[in-house]
Amino acid sequence: MASTGVLTSSERASGWRPDPVLWVRLAIIVGVLVLWQVVAMSGLLYQDVVPQLPAIVAALGRLLVNPELYRNLWVTLYETVLALVFGGVAGLFVGIVLGGSRFFGRAFEPYLYYLGPTPKIIFFPVMIMWFGTGGGSKIAMGAFSCFFPVALSVAVGMRAIPPILMRVGQSFRASPRQMVQKIYLPAMREPVVNGLRLGFGIALIGVLLAETKLSNQGLGFLVIQNYQRFDMPAMYALLIAIFVLSMGANAAITRLTSRSAASGAR
Amino acid sequence: MSTATNLHQVSRKGAAAATGGQPILTVDHVVKSFETPQGKVTAVDDMSLDVRQGEFVSVIGPSGCGKSTLFNMIGGLLSITEGEIAVAGERVNGPHPSIGMVFQEESTFPWRTVEENVAFPLEIQGVGKAERLERAQHFIKLVGLQGFEKRFPAELSGGMRQRVAIARTLAFQPKLLLMDEPFAALDEQTRLLLGDKVTQIQQELNQTVVLITHNITEAVQLSDRILIMTYRPGRTKRIIDIDLPRPRTSEIVGSDAFGRYVAEIWNDLREEASQGMQDEEALAQQRKRP
Amino acid sequence: MRSLDRYGPAALGFGGFVLFLVVVEILIRLGLINGYIVPLPSQVIVALERVIAEEGILPRFLLTAGEALGAGLLVALIGIPLGILLFEADLLRRATENWVAAFAAAPIVLVYPLFLVIFGRSSWTIIAIGTVAGLPPVILKTLEGLAGVRPVLIRVGRSFNLTPWQQFRTILFPAAVPTIFAGLRLGLIFAMINVVGVEFLINFGGLGPLINELSERYDMPATYAAICFVVLVSVLFFLAVERIEKWLRPAS
Repeated sequence: MASTGVLTSSERASGWRPDPVLWVRLAIIVGVLVLWQVVAMSGLLYQDVVPQLPAIVAALGRLLVNPELYRNLWVTLYETVLALVFGGVAGLFVGIVLGGSRFFGRAFEPYLYYLGPTPKIIFFPVMIMWFGTGGGSKIAMGAFSCFFPVALSVAVGMRAIPPILMRVGQSFRASPRQMVQKIYLPAMREPVVNGLRLGFGIALIGVLLAETKLSNQGLGFLVIQNYQRFDMPAMYALLIAIFVLSMGANAAITRLTSRSAASGAR
Repeated sequence: MSTATNLHQVSRKGAAAATGGQPILTVDHVVKSFETPQGKVTAVDDMSLDVRQGEFVSVIGPSGCGKSTLFNMIGGLLSITEGEIAVAGERVNGPHPSIGMVFQEESTFPWRTVEENVAFPLEIQGVGKAERLERAQHFIKLVGLQGFEKRFPAELSGGMRQRVAIARTLAFQPKLLLMDEPFAALDEQTRLLLGDKVTQIQQELNQTVVLITHNITEAVQLSDRILIMTYRPGRTKRIIDIDLPRPRTSEIVGSDAFGRYVAEIWNDLREEASQGMQDEEALAQQRKRP
Repeated sequence: MRSLDRYGPAALGFGGFVLFLVVVEILIRLGLINGYIVPLPSQVIVALERVIAEEGILPRFLLTAGEALGAGLLVALIGIPLGILLFEADLLRRATENWVAAFAAAPIVLVYPLFLVIFGRSSWTIIAIGTVAGLPPVILKTLEGLAGVRPVLIRVGRSFNLTPWQQFRTILFPAAVPTIFAGLRLGLIFAMINVVGVEFLINFGGLGPLINELSERYDMPATYAAICFVVLVSVLFFLAVERIEKWLRPAS
C-alpha cells in the first residue's frame, strides 16, 4: 500500500481516547489467564495438563535463554526456506503455465485442484526412502506440501488479470517484449506474492510435522522431546514460542512483499 | 420529420473545409461476420463512414447491434471480413499509431500511479523518463486531474479513473480518438460534466473523435454528426448532422433544438431497440425450457 | 473440431498421467530409477488389490470417516454459533477477527502432542485436532456471510417492521447460508486432512496407521498403494462434499 495521506475514520477518531477494541482484547486475555490459573489451582484437571501460570512463564524464560532453542530454530527455518524455494519455484512455474494457457489449465488443473486438499504428511515414508532420515526428507515434505497451494493460487490469480489490460497494451502497439515486461509481469506480481505467502505457512507446517514424526533436530523435534519427558510447562512455552514465531514470520513476509510491490510499481 | 429536413442543411464550420475534405477515417463498405456453431452470423453489414479532421462523430445503436465490433475493427483489434478501413490514408490491419482507443471497461493499470498510467504510451515509444513524465503532466492537467499524479487508480473514483484512461490515450497523440462507451459506468450528472470536459479538450486540440455509445443525450451533446445503426446485423440506418452552436456546454440539454434532436433520434432508434428487446425475450424463453 | 476442444484437454490430462506412469515403469525396468525405493507402477496396482483385500480396509475407512464426521459435526456446532456471536457483538468482532484469521494461518496441528497428553492415544485426540483445524474457516465464513448480506435486504426487513429475531431468521441467516455452506465445506475438508494426518503421526486409528505399518514392513509396493488409496479416498471425500454443498445450496 502506498501511503495515501487519507485517514480512515477510526484513525481520525482516536486522538487519544482509549480504543474500546483494545480494552476488549485486554479483558479477553486477562480473563483467559485468570480462568486458566483458577482451573490450575483447583486441581479439577490434572496438574500436568494445566500447569500454573508461573510455571509456564518460568519455562518460557528458561526456553528463551536456552541456546538449544535457537540451534533448532535455525534448523527448522533453514529447512522451511529451502522447501519454499523448491516447492514455491516449481509451483510458480506450473501455476504460470496453467494460468496462462486455457488448454493446459483445463488439462492439468483439475488434478492439482483435487490433489491439493489431501493429507500430504502421509507421503513422509516415501520422502524418507528418497531423501533419507535427515533434513532432506523434511525439506522435501515442506516443498511437496507447498507446491499445490502455490501453483493453484498463481494459476487462479493469472486468470484474474483483466484481459482489457492486454488490449490496452495492443492498442498502444506495445511489442511482445513490452507486453511481458510492462503488463504481464506487473499484473502477475500480486498473485505470485499471495501464493508465496500462503506457501510459506504450508511449508512450515509440513517441515514441523515431519520433524515431529522422525527427526533429531528442529522445533518439531523439541516439541516431541518435551512430550516424551512429559514436561508440560516447557511444552506450552515452546508451543507459544512457535506460534509467535510463525505469526511474526507471516507478518514479516506480508510487510516485505507489500513494500516491494509498492516500490516495484514505481 | 420536417424538423430533420430543416436542420439537415450542411453547415460545418471551418474544420472540414480547412483540410479540403481529406478524411482522417474512412470506413468503406465494411462487413464483419463470425462463424458460430449455429452458422454464419453477420454482426456488421456494409457500413461506410468518412470522418474529417476535427470532427466529432458518434455511432449510436441498441445493445447488440455490433457497435463494439465496429470499434474493435477500426482500432485494429479485430479483423475485417470484407471492405476496408483506412486512417489518414493508411489501411488499418492491426493497431495503428494514428488511432488511440478508450475502452468501456475499467482499463487503468492498478499497479501504476496516475502519471505512470498517462505516461505509459510514451514509455512504449521509448521516450525518456523525465520527458515522458513532463509530457504526461500536460494531459493530466487537460483532464483536470492535477494534484492526483502520485495516486493509484484504486484511490480514485470511477469518473476519475476514466479520465486517467482518456489522458493516457491523448498522450499517445492519436490523429483519431476512438472511444467505446467510456462513460457507460458513470452516473448521469458525472457523465454530463465529463462530456463538457471532453468537448473542451476536443475543441482545444481540434481532436478528431469517434464515440461509440448507446446514450442519445450524450451523443447529441458532444457530436457534429451521429450515425444511427440498425439492430442485427448492424447497418447504417441514417446519419444526422447536429447543428448546435459551438462552443457548447451541457447547458444545451435544456434547449428546444436539443430536445428535437433527441426525439428524432429516439424515433429512429425505437424500433431497433424494441427488436433487440424482443430477441432477448425470445432467448430467455428458449433458456427456460431446455 | 468442437469435440476436440471439449475433450482435448481432459484427454491430454489423463494421457499425460498415464504416460507419466508408463515412463516411470520403463525407467525402473531400465534401472535408471532405483526399483527398491520406487516400486514399479504395475506392482503398485497389483498391491492395491492386496491392500484392499488383506488389510481390513473397510473398518479402517469407517473409523477414519467416523472421526472426520465427528470433527465436522463439532466444527459446525461450535463454529456457526461463534460466527453468529461475532457478527452480533461488533466490538468482540473487531477485537478478535484478526486473531481468528491469524489462528487459521498458524500451524495448529502442532498442538497434537498436547492433546495426546489430555486425551491419550485415542480417537478423541484425533477428533479434537480435526475440530480445532476446521473451526477458523467456519467462523470466518459465517461472519463473512452475515456481514455481506446486501443492505437493501436488511432495509426490506426493517420496512416490514420485523423484530430482531425475525430479521435474523427470515433475512440475515437465509441470505448468509450459501457462504456458511462454503465455510462448512472448507472446515470439513480441513478436519479430514488433519484427522488422517494425525492418525498417521500418532499411529492410531484407521487409514493413517496403515501406511506406517506397511512402510515399517518395508513393503514398498503396498506402502505406495496405501498412500494412493488414502489420496483417492480424500479426493472422493472432497468431491462428495463439493457435490453435497452444491445440492443443498439454494440457488442464489
